[in-house]
Amino acid sequence: MNGIHDLGGMEGFGPIVREENEPVFHAEWEGRIMGMTLATLAQGFYNIDEIRQETERMDPVEYLTSDYYTHWLHTAEELMIQKGIITRAELEAKRAELAQAEASQS
Amino acid sequence: MAGQGHDHGDGHDHGHGHDHTEPPSDEALRVKALESLLVDKGLLDPAAVDAVIDQYETKIGPRNGARVVARAWADPDFKRRLLENASEAMKEVGVSGLQGEDMVVLENTARVHNLVVCTLCSCYPWPVLGLPPNWYKSAPYRSRVVRDPRGVLDEFGTKLGDGVEVRVWDSNAEIRYLVLPERPAGTEDMDEAALAELVTRDSMIGVAMALSPE
Amino acid sequence: MTDLVRAEMIEPILTTGASARIDADVAPQFAVGDAVIARNLNPHTHTRLPRYVRGKRGTVERDHGVFLFPDTHAVGQGGKPQHVYSVRFEASELWGPDGTQGDALFIDMWDDYLEPA
Repeated sequence: MNGIHDLGGMEGFGPIVREENEPVFHAEWEGRIMGMTLATLAQGFYNIDEIRQETERMDPVEYLTSDYYTHWLHTAEELMIQKGIITRAELEAKRAELAQAEASQS
Repeated sequence: MAGQGHDHGDGHDHGHGHDHTEPPSDEALRVKALESLLVDKGLLDPAAVDAVIDQYETKIGPRNGARVVARAWADPDFKRRLLENASEAMKEVGVSGLQGEDMVVLENTARVHNLVVCTLCSCYPWPVLGLPPNWYKSAPYRSRVVRDPRGVLDEFGTKLGDGVEVRVWDSNAEIRYLVLPERPAGTEDMDEAALAELVTRDSMIGVAMALSPE
Repeated sequence: MTDLVRAEMIEPILTTGASARIDADVAPQFAVGDAVIARNLNPHTHTRLPRYVRGKRGTVERDHGVFLFPDTHAVGQGGKPQHVYSVRFEASELWGPDGTQGDALFIDMWDDYLEPA
């Protein structure tokens, strides 16, 4: 699809921002989603081309304003729902449960 | 124009990832929910996720690529094999794997300068370089390097000699590219281990030259 | 779906990988040195043919061999194995007078992305 991911040749995104001594992951969750995606890919939940296609289907504004591993998260959630591995309702219920647990701890 | 925070590719406050006085980010909660659900269903071994993180944080990184480059500088026969069939030659140095199954090595010379991008996503030769830095995955690099590679090299502080041909490689398929930077002058007496210290990640992407010996 | 991937399987998986190269006897449609044009394709679904090369003229520089075709593989229509080539496009072909004369862009093109020039 002629999506926002097809960036080659565009201009106007500003300077290339580099980070000295950049860590492999900037937050714990980045490594978790990366590891989860690779493990489930190896388990045959989906193939690499389905993964790339799903990332390309992200809302273009969200694509540009979110981080690389947020793209991975979006893609894993959507593909697992599409494939019937989980349901959106289950995912939302689990999020609410975890949010409540976090709130009661603090 | 998009601001820097927009393009940095990581909107996190560095160092706050483990600060439990901060509320968890939306992403952290979403990831935890997904992992928890898969574990509940018996569809994920969380220790496998730990193992992936450990591999990329401690074992698979640009030091692997530096060993390949240093060997190529020190051993002309290895360099010939590497340029002919990179995936096979890399195995001689014990380097192979996911997102590097089909490698091609591009030799930078006094006449040709190669640099690598993935305009459509962020494909990168993981076995030799590890996971990509944020700038490589960012819109500014992916968009501009094909249209204005000389401007991008200038931004990295990389100066080319007169008459050098610039070749940009868009790794849109499943071939992964590693740049073999030019061997710096004054390194004739150095052994492989010392040479490897001069090989930076950026020099193997092609946005920089290898370091010069002190 | 395959069995659960356990922690001890991760290192072998990551250091072996999973090549998209296919051991299939598929005839190449092009040869090294051929002049080609990247097709002007605009599918609603996945493709690895970026807009900036569509309709542009290039030269086949290398035949990488036979690989899965992502455009069909992403949508459950099989791997459609075919040759992938490294194709050279001159900067001046892609960017007109704003491209530096003599510079070039190399990109990997499946047979289905190309037509003879």
